[in-house]
Amino acid sequence: MSEVFFILIAAITIASAIWVVFSSNLIYSAVALLFTLFGVAGLYVFLYADFIAATQVVVYVGGILVLIIFGVMLTNKIADNRISHSSRPRFMAGVISFFIFVLVMTVIFTTTWHTGEEQIATATVNTIGEMILTTYLLPFEVASLVLLAALMGSALLSRKKHG
Amino acid sequence: MSNLLSLSDYLPEMILLGVILIAIVMDLVPATKRFTKGFILVGLILVAAFLYQGDTSASSLFMGMSAHDPFGTFFKWLFIIATFFVVLIAKYDDGMDQSIAAEFNILLLIVMFGLFLMATATNLVMVYLAIETVSISSYILAGMLRNDIKSNEASLKYVIFGAFASGLMLYGFSWLYGLSGSTDLTIIRDVLMTQEGPVFVVYISILMVLVGIGYKLSMVPFHYWTPDVYEGAPTPLTAYLSVAPKAAGLALMIRFFTMTFTDGAGETVANVDWTVLIAVLSAITMTVGNLLALRQENVKRLFAFSSIAHAGYMLMVIPVISTDSSAAIMFYLVPYLFMNLGAFFVAIAVSNHTGSYDLAGWKGLGKRTPLLAALMVIFLVSLTGLPPTAGFIGKVYLFSVLIKHQQFYWLAVVAVINSVIALFYYFRIVREMYFTDSDDTEPLRPHPILTWSIISCVIPVLVLGLYWSPVIDWVTASLKMF
Repeated sequence: MSEVFFILIAAITIASAIWVVFSSNLIYSAVALLFTLFGVAGLYVFLYADFIAATQVVVYVGGILVLIIFGVMLTNKIADNRISHSSRPRFMAGVISFFIFVLVMTVIFTTTWHTGEEQIATATVNTIGEMILTTYLLPFEVASLVLLAALMGSALLSRKKHG
Repeated sequence: MSNLLSLSDYLPEMILLGVILIAIVMDLVPATKRFTKGFILVGLILVAAFLYQGDTSASSLFMGMSAHDPFGTFFKWLFIIATFFVVLIAKYDDGMDQSIAAEFNILLLIVMFGLFLMATATNLVMVYLAIETVSISSYILAGMLRNDIKSNEASLKYVIFGAFASGLMLYGFSWLYGLSGSTDLTIIRDVLMTQEGPVFVVYISILMVLVGIGYKLSMVPFHYWTPDVYEGAPTPLTAYLSVAPKAAGLALMIRFFTMTFTDGAGETVANVDWTVLIAVLSAITMTVGNLLALRQENVKRLFAFSSIAHAGYMLMVIPVISTDSSAAIMFYLVPYLFMNLGAFFVAIAVSNHTGSYDLAGWKGLGKRTPLLAALMVIFLVSLTGLPPTAGFIGKVYLFSVLIKHQQFYWLAVVAVINSVIALFYYFRIVREMYFTDSDDTEPLRPHPILTWSIISCVIPVLVLGLYWSPVIDWVTASLKMF
């Protein structure tokens, strides 16, 4: 049963991702991205990463996607907003991409990956909270500095020239 | 070491954080606004004092996230010196928007914090976060001149290239994690060492890690952003970018590759011979950098390509797995810091007068302002790598690593040919300054602080060219890595 669900969610993710790339209308792309992001959240659930799945929905679907759509809407000339796929040597790009795809796939399927011991799935929020304040304390604090820089930067770049 | 105990070895960073936060508040309060820059400079000296006080043992901090060792401390000194000079000078560049000078300085300090992290990171999570701290703040800094279309272009190109490079690097990290089940660099090495034969997956992981680090170093083929960003960014930032993040990238590369991709006995891990790959990339990097520099008419672009070439020279010794190669790179970085900063400061002085960075503006500088022109000649001679300057000694150390270990002789030949090519474009500037006449005969009058900064950059370049053993001793003492 869960296998059927997995295939369904994976299919939705991939199909909508293809739509994002090939649609020539920005709004359609943005809407397709909604399905991709939801699909990825579903894939996280299959990995028992419930917290990451929730974060994915809140941050990407709730925040970033809405911002993207706002950005598109507020840009001028919304009516004829066609993206040009004018990457000219299209054939060469296709060949190279295909080659890389085959290479990566071969390597992924011929490698013996690390497997941890089997664990009983429980809620992960407790563990994550504990880890953030113990093992990963330094990255957690540094991330706040990065946010501070981003905040200053966005205020700086968007404000009207004063003086 | 546990988080609480780590704090005692983390004093310079904590003081830096304090300086950043206080400076932000100071800039908001009208009464203290004009003291912000002075406060930042004093804060940097304080950070340096505590760095000097710190002990020289090597230990792991914050549960294996970061390292405290003489190797990292060496690079932190370079970052402090570079930041101090750039903060000092930024005010005297007429191209800067002075209403946002405080924000410029504060963001520069955040970049510096990220560089500290880059030089000491020992965990994949920290490596990524450190690179992002540096990158995100640099994107903002590059786009600060909002009314200058070149600056907008620089910022946008920087963001797009940067996002792409970090994405690929993260994918590489995920493979390393998938192989080892850990993000700790030493544990990954232990797992990689158990792999049999040449393992393709390790090769691809190394390649993707190289994308992320190579982007910071502007290694060919990840160099496309360099000339445009260097041209569009405010010049004090360009001077900074050409020195500090490059040094941090090399520190990260040395640490990452010696901790993870070598087995500790001078062999590559899992029989994956990445040394040849880096040797070839280094040869291409210096050649492309030098050849493209030949035709530049804009001084900032010229120095962008020159910095690509210098990254190539320094990468040249990384394929030799030995502490000699890290020592040679570390030694080279010291004169490189001063000669590059100095050359950019002279460029600022010239453009304050002419209003542009065109090479044509340098005409007749030898007659108009003999002091500036003479100082510039010293920087250029050092950048070319001719005696009696420190650039020459640095190059000798780089070459001697290849000769001593009897590896990659062809790379040394390529580097010598490249040094000759470099002579052409560096001396084009000399020719403009001394052998062409300009209608404009008015002498330049740079601000005294600008002049004195240039002079204090020239002193180490000359002194280290004649008496460099203290720096070599310092470098040898700083090789200890956690």
